[in-house]
Amino acid sequence: MSAYRDKDPRIHGIQSKIRVVPNFPKPGIMFQDITTLLLDPKAFKDTVDLFVERYKGKNISVVAGIEARGFIFGPPIALEIGAKFVPLRKPKKLPGKVISEEYELEYGRDCLEMHVGAVEPGERALVVDDLIATGGTLCAAMNLLERVGAEVVECACVIELPDLKGRERLNGKPLYVLVESH
Amino acid sequence: MMQRSLIFSSPNPISPHLSTPSPPPVNAVIPERNRWIAPSSFSQPSFIRFQNYQRTLPSLLCTAASDSVANQQQQMASQEEQDTRIAKISSVIRVIPDFPKPGIMFQDITTLLLDVGAFRDTIDLFVERYRGKDISVVAGVEARGFIFGPPIALAIGAKFVPMRKPNKLPGEVISEEYSLEYGTDKMEMHVGAVQAGERALIIDDLVATGGTLCAAIRLLERVGVHVVECACVIELPELKGRERLGKTPLFVLVSSST
Repeated sequence: MSAYRDKDPRIHGIQSKIRVVPNFPKPGIMFQDITTLLLDPKAFKDTVDLFVERYKGKNISVVAGIEARGFIFGPPIALEIGAKFVPLRKPKKLPGKVISEEYELEYGRDCLEMHVGAVEPGERALVVDDLIATGGTLCAAMNLLERVGAEVVECACVIELPDLKGRERLNGKPLYVLVESH
Repeated sequence: MMQRSLIFSSPNPISPHLSTPSPPPVNAVIPERNRWIAPSSFSQPSFIRFQNYQRTLPSLLCTAASDSVANQQQQMASQEEQDTRIAKISSVIRVIPDFPKPGIMFQDITTLLLDVGAFRDTIDLFVERYRGKDISVVAGVEARGFIFGPPIALAIGAKFVPMRKPNKLPGEVISEEYSLEYGTDKMEMHVGAVQAGERALIIDDLVATGGTLCAAIRLLERVGVHVVECACVIELPELKGRERLGKTPLFVLVSSST
């Protein structure tokens, strides 16, 4: 389900602020740049508000954000809905004891880590990132949370690239996005 | 591998001491409606502090002397509340020994983020300081500056500008090299993100030697932005970052000495 289809009047403004940069990080990729959205205080606030309106009062106690652009959208949402913020990071960044989840890239593998003890069994969690493409990173994030007994209520992204079928990769977990980009 | 309890180190040595920022120079152009409110130092009641600011900042609209006793008492009460918030914030920062290498006591703010009230208080303390000061840019240093910067930016109505490691920003960038203990690193900002004449804050979780913050200051100043202040949750005063920032003021919530 996406807010775009619901035609909330704020969506158009948000979509118009996202900049597409061709051939980054490599030829053929049309990169969805959210930094231009962050330069518009009203559009940035609308983005956060749309998520907050959806998740406030749903007993969500954890917002997990994926490094690094998930760190931009996750904390404002967490603060507004009264949840803790849990950063999910590349290897060797978190200083304490961690659990790790490997996932596949186009070429090779990468790893996502979470601090042990950050999340308790039974907690209800969101996973936040700026964009979902193939869904590999979000899957790794969900696995980390489920391994410690948390319930992933939904994945939330500003942008979805539906042609890359990330939604299907989420194993039935709900995905909420504001904007689709084909 | 599943653990069921939060693991924290024993009470950390961070003292809930607030540093007092250097006040702007006497001839600074400060809009009349703005009043620069200093954080507390525990030895000074707040009304004395306001009077000190009256002496050093004659261009400001100083109301402390004309305040009623009731107002002064209210200001002192809110100062106590500020100190209570700082003490709580300090107590939920976790110190991890020997990370990333032996001898380093790493200040871990992730445990602060797990305490909803303390995280909110952290943001509030910055927002209270910077709201209504005509700041249009909050620049956050990757990656932990991305956690604190955006909530502050949203609350004060400023744009958020990420300052990133090389090759992360997709558009045209300007770069600034800076020194590490061994070697150098580079920080980048998007061209066009900020305009000459804008007033900016730079946010990071911690200031150590000040090298990263200095690079961020240079990037913004190169495009004609005025860096009003650098703001961090934690300062390691022995590493003298404050001096390295030179003329740019530094505001921190917690100062941690070994």
